[in-house]
Amino acid sequence: MTAVIEVEHLTRRYRDVTAVNDATFSVEENKIYGLLGRNGAGKTTLMQLLTGQEFASDGTIRVFGESPVENADVLQNISFIKESQRYPEDFRPRHVFASAPHFFANWDADFAAQLADEFRVPLKRRIKKLSRGQVSAVGVIVGLASRAPLTFFDEPYLGLDAVARQLFYDRLLEDYAQHPRTVVLSTHLIDEVSNLLEHVIVIDEGRIIIDEDAESLRGTATSVVGTRAAVDAFVASREILHRDAVGGLASVTVTGLDARGRAAASAAGLELAPVSLQQLIIRRTGMNQQQSSEKEFEATA
Amino acid sequence: MTTATQSDSTLARVPKTTAAHRIGNVVRLHFTNPWTILALPSIILTAIFLLNLAIWVTVYLSAAPDHRSQVSNGLQYTGSSFYIFVYMLVVAVQAISITFPFALGYGVTRRDYYRGTAVTFVILAAIYSAGMTLLSIIEDATGGWGVGGRMFSAVYFGDSWPVRLYVYFVLLLLFFFVGTIFAAVWVRWKATGLATLFIAFGVLAVGLIALIILTSGWGNIAAFFVNAGFVGSASWSLAITAIAGLTGYLVLRRATPRT
Repeated sequence: MTAVIEVEHLTRRYRDVTAVNDATFSVEENKIYGLLGRNGAGKTTLMQLLTGQEFASDGTIRVFGESPVENADVLQNISFIKESQRYPEDFRPRHVFASAPHFFANWDADFAAQLADEFRVPLKRRIKKLSRGQVSAVGVIVGLASRAPLTFFDEPYLGLDAVARQLFYDRLLEDYAQHPRTVVLSTHLIDEVSNLLEHVIVIDEGRIIIDEDAESLRGTATSVVGTRAAVDAFVASREILHRDAVGGLASVTVTGLDARGRAAASAAGLELAPVSLQQLIIRRTGMNQQQSSEKEFEATA
Repeated sequence: MTTATQSDSTLARVPKTTAAHRIGNVVRLHFTNPWTILALPSIILTAIFLLNLAIWVTVYLSAAPDHRSQVSNGLQYTGSSFYIFVYMLVVAVQAISITFPFALGYGVTRRDYYRGTAVTFVILAAIYSAGMTLLSIIEDATGGWGVGGRMFSAVYFGDSWPVRLYVYFVLLLLFFFVGTIFAAVWVRWKATGLATLFIAFGVLAVGLIALIILTSGWGNIAAFFVNAGFVGSASWSLAITAIAGLTGYLVLRRATPRT
């Protein structure tokens, strides 16, 4: 096992909020990780901690085996593209691409030029005059062309249209195949990236609540669809994540259906449907919330 | 920590670099787009100069012809170049506040960033002091641009070009590095920090003036500057520059790029 990132009991407290709370996980080399969670869950803070931009309140961080804080030997292996990345005033995209090679040893200028062309980034226009999507494209280009051994994309696509986002996913996969590296992608467009991700880490209110291989995570839940009576009978003894019912039909999401369970389901005339990663994560992260909102509802009713 | 060393050797990493190389890269980053640090200040310097020239010409023409030779004498205590120094403080604040979050995104450590920025300011002080010295030589040679004007040859900068070069250089350094304090406080604590800093400076200044008045110390201070001379006084400012530079670093080393 070769872990690029090893985090133990990492905590970052601010005056009135604990942004990252006792997080322990590791990131293995040359895989694409999804760091998922709702807005304000702690994704950005976590990535800032991993890149030495933030200071931990507690716990340890090892990146390439060392603490990243003020550690040039570690940090020059990292490219961190933030949605909110600020560029020097009066910089034009060509200035960004001209200065990047000083800091990224693996920078590929031809690739950057090709991407600038594909994303239609106007190289000579001032960054503050660019559209939100064009600014995001500049970040995406730096993140891809820097080919840093460890690349963080923090919601890199604000303002990017569907075509540009698909282009980003395509180029990321292609370039990753040719130049394997470790990528951590934070996003809330889970369905769009679910095919990219090899491993999923879900953070909620600062805590790591899911840390699983994407493939096995997908296998942890299945939707069972059929008549209400048949579905109810089938799921009676199983763990239910979610339930939808319309008239006489029901669709219930259950956990851990093995081969025998699948056989039983089809014998009962039920249809099995895969659950999307997004649905799965909503079910898992929404659960506590749903329960508490139900309680609130009962209390007010 | 055997596991750490093990993973170290197998993980793909970019080659290590020297500190000098990394500091040089930060300097190059500052000069990537020379607009903020070179072009704009030069334009402003030119504008100040042209405005002053207009005033000199007015004064020169309105003075009786036999008094014109005294115009230059009257302008020897001009403060017109003071603005240039204050503007360099602004340049320092701008340079840091716009490149700091950017550089950290490029994986630069705060330490390397600050060292590279300090080198940049020394280079800028050298460039500007050389330019201003050249202008002072022209000013002398043309009898104050033909109209007895004085801006770069004001009496506090000394009367020979090597002295002026030194005084300019040292004073520019002072303003650049005092600027780093404001910039670092801004980057770390934003508006709240700056407001606090201004109040602190205000209290300090009032306290200092009160102390001087109560101890009747004005004479001593005047005596100090007279004794030290232009060059000596300028050299003493290096101590303030060093303190400011160190303070700027201490504030910046715990700063986090925020939006």
